[in-house]
Amino acid sequence: MKKAVFQGILIVTLFFGTWYLLAQIKWVTIFNIQKKTENTEQKLGEIFWDVFKKTGKENTNKNVKNTIDSIVNHICETNGINIAKIKIHVLEKDDINAFALPNGHLIVFTGLISQSANQEELAGVICHELAHIELNHVMKKLIQEIGFTVVGSITSGSEGATIIKEATKLLSSSAYDRKLEKEADIKAVDLMVEANINPKPFADFLYKMSDKETIKQFTWISTHPDSKERGNYILSYCKTKSKQYRQVVTAEGWFKMQQELKKSE
Amino acid sequence: MIQSNNFRYSPGEHEAETASSSYLMSLIAIIVGAPLPILNLLATIIFYLSNRKSTYFVRWHCTQALLSQLSMLIINSFGFWWTVSIVFTAETISNEYIAYMISAIAFNIVEFIATLYTAVQTRKGKHIEWWFYGGLTNILCKESR
Ligand SMILES: [Zn+2]
Repeated sequence: MKKAVFQGILIVTLFFGTWYLLAQIKWVTIFNIQKKTENTEQKLGEIFWDVFKKTGKENTNKNVKNTIDSIVNHICETNGINIAKIKIHVLEKDDINAFALPNGHLIVFTGLISQSANQEELAGVICHELAHIELNHVMKKLIQEIGFTVVGSITSGSEGATIIKEATKLLSSSAYDRKLEKEADIKAVDLMVEANINPKPFADFLYKMSDKETIKQFTWISTHPDSKERGNYILSYCKTKSKQYRQVVTAEGWFKMQQELKKSE
Repeated sequence: MIQSNNFRYSPGEHEAETASSSYLMSLIAIIVGAPLPILNLLATIIFYLSNRKSTYFVRWHCTQALLSQLSMLIINSFGFWWTVSIVFTAETISNEYIAYMISAIAFNIVEFIATLYTAVQTRKGKHIEWWFYGGLTNILCKESR
């Protein structure tokens, strides 16, 4: 009996030992899986961005571009995110929305910028989307929703325009699953704190929006439901951090940009 | 890992054939139902149940075949569901996954060869006890019935 138990333990150990030792080898690099996934992501990013480019005009206002760039660059620099990886696009649209596409494309609608009461609110939404990018949620969501094979055939160009449109819609106007959203919220607060941006206005923003969830133009809030709950846990997570906060762009710069956005409307 | 022992009695021709078949069953099932790890276990279980009242030699070898299938089932189902979750969910291929699959395949090959060897030897009426599984079978399978 003792002998059998001993031998049993040895066999189990042998299996897990083999597994553990083999896992030390970088198979993913050997088989080039990383590179293949990166290529797929790059292609998908281009395909989806092409679709969006056609649906709206890119905002060319220098003030808007500078403001958004300074905010994004500041967040990336302080958090060690490779700026070259993030491709930010501002589109002229009244919808209050921002979302991430594969390969670091980050789309922000002018509607979101002009409806943000302050730069912290806008930075909060941007950080949340950056978190989706950093945590590789975009590809996860795509594969979860449309499957491995369809993603593959979109990349290889054998998928029709309708499917691509559907997939694009999925990324811009539907929610990630709850777990991923919460992860992104927490990571967003981390990014903000590291960038010395006060996360509290972002939580307040969610609170404020919780009773406006039904407003149609508020796409970002409708794709990110349960604002009250989110505001709550963001707020309680903020409290565990204490830091000196400051503003990324000057109050004047922010005001000027808002004025110019209003003018162009 | 494998040793040939003397059984308490020498099995007759028919006994040797049935005992050998219990190993063959799982071999055939592996070949037929390779991707679905449950198939070879099912085949072995059915064979085990139908020979429950058979002679000690036959019961002993059915039990050993079943036990080895059971442990393979655990290893293979884990690998099976891990693969399914990579294809259908957001799971991605990792070093751990590839390492697991290689270990699983290696264990399967060893088990396959051992099963094949034992099927041939039991057919000749030889009593083959596997390392660990033989000992476990001795505990679970008693002569008096
Ligand atoms: Zn989100």
